[in-house]
Amino acid sequence: MASSSSAAETAKLQDHKPDSSTPNKDAEKQAITLEEDDEFEDFPVEDWGPEDTEVASGSAHLWEESWDDDDTSDDFSKQLKEELDKVKAGREK
Amino acid sequence: MDLLVQNFLVAQSTGQGHLLSATLLPESPQDDPNRLRRLTSSSTVHDIESDLRSSLLSTRSGIHLNKAEGNAWIDVYVSYFRAATEVVALSERHGNSDHTSVYDAWKEMANTLIRGYSSGHFQAWTIPCLYVAGRYLRIFAIKADRHARSGKPVTYGSGMSGDITSSISKNEKLEDAARVINRIFQLCISDRASIENSRKWGLYYATNLLFKTYFKLNSISLSKNILRALSVSVDTPPESAFPRSQISTFHYYNGIIAFLDEDYPTAETHLTQSLNLCHKLATHNKELILTYLIPCHLLTTHTLPSATLLAPFPRLQKLFQPLAECIKRGDLSGFDSALAQGEEEFVKRRIYLTLERGRDIALRNLFRKVFLLGGFIDGGGGEDTEQAAKPRRTRIPIHEFETAIALSMDSHNHRLNKNGNNNNSKLSNGTTTKLSRAKIDRDEVECLLANMIYKFQNLMKGYIAQTAGMVVLSKGAAFPGTGV
Repeated sequence: MASSSSAAETAKLQDHKPDSSTPNKDAEKQAITLEEDDEFEDFPVEDWGPEDTEVASGSAHLWEESWDDDDTSDDFSKQLKEELDKVKAGREK
Repeated sequence: MDLLVQNFLVAQSTGQGHLLSATLLPESPQDDPNRLRRLTSSSTVHDIESDLRSSLLSTRSGIHLNKAEGNAWIDVYVSYFRAATEVVALSERHGNSDHTSVYDAWKEMANTLIRGYSSGHFQAWTIPCLYVAGRYLRIFAIKADRHARSGKPVTYGSGMSGDITSSISKNEKLEDAARVINRIFQLCISDRASIENSRKWGLYYATNLLFKTYFKLNSISLSKNILRALSVSVDTPPESAFPRSQISTFHYYNGIIAFLDEDYPTAETHLTQSLNLCHKLATHNKELILTYLIPCHLLTTHTLPSATLLAPFPRLQKLFQPLAECIKRGDLSGFDSALAQGEEEFVKRRIYLTLERGRDIALRNLFRKVFLLGGFIDGGGGEDTEQAAKPRRTRIPIHEFETAIALSMDSHNHRLNKNGNNNNSKLSNGTTTKLSRAKIDRDEVECLLANMIYKFQNLMKGYIAQTAGMVVLSKGAAFPGTGV
């Protein structure tokens, strides 16, 4: 996996900045962050009160429904309706 | 050295484990950047033992260690002094980052310490010393391995050829460190002393250290062994009795283990606990938790992160916002390109396959639009709220879904194709429209529909009447949980 993703990285670098003179430097920098930032850090303090936890800092409305509300007037729905009508008209002919 | 002695004596007489462990730090505190250097220049590796013996164990010290215990501490501090000397020496060799000798010396210190516990000389309140030993062992091992991998060994003292070096595991020291840290874990879990004086209080710290090490080594299965050992360990105090830092970290790794096993409900539970306990200012850790919690939520509860949730995390916003929007819109081509856009990062984080399954939610939303457009049995359009009481049309020709998929796969291409031939995209003007580009098989549509209806997904309720070319949807809850 690591090799494929770094291959993708390289490919991407080439894609986006073909004329960049320092691709290696970028790749190096990326490799370092890749190794470092994936790790759960040691907390600077060992323990804290419940008032300092994430849950206490107010976590309402963090998740929302995965669908658009029942509005069928968005562009896509309009397009779709036209399409469906057209297909329908075609069939009725 | 005076400071070390002084802190050791205070810690021993008051039983402050963290103060004691601070005397074993292989680096200077920020507010005293020369402490380690002062220590190593206050004695030599030859004299340190007698120096320590006269100060730590003298009758004037005011503490009463029995002889074996005292000797064991002297051994620890002698090996600590040697390691500290290596650390200082390395810092003076500018441009040299080879931590091998530091690692070796520190490992010696860790083993000396472990021996003190396994021989029964050290009391349980001193276990923060084990934390320090394990934590830095891992750090030094990673640095030593990184140097070895960089292919710039400073000395070929042993005459090793490059070929031999490269055939050794690229994580040689870290694997070695894992074994030592495992011994620390065993010291904690095997302690049968009554709980107030038990090393079991070190269990979570040691476990987290092992998790971090095994994850770095990509040995997730070893982490599972640790979890199994923990689950059968008796008399472990409740989680709430441990510091929040340890429990938040513990649940994070538990969550990731379940996540990689594709056990998303379990992963969600652990990650949520981790997030809830996490310090509110620990942005990096919160970001990591959410990186996995967001895909979990998508699959378990079909919910998406709100803008409020993502706002403090620009990286997460960049990762998830485009996907989330496409899922909501039921935009298949948009979803596919957002997934491709983030592929590199998603693969790296091991969330690609999980997110890919979010396409089903996008598809559900697309089919839901078809259903809503179908309107009501008596009326035509579905927009009229006054008709809300009327039953919706639940028998929907399969070709309508087919058209919707084709349009959804195609629409994005048009939008992206801003330069030039976007004639095709002008659907609203009623001229010729071509959907040929995203031609999709009827069989494929039926397959997608069947997959939606498949009971474990619970995305769509109904059945396919194949001969009639219809999908018959449930009257009450065609798309469970979405209000229709």
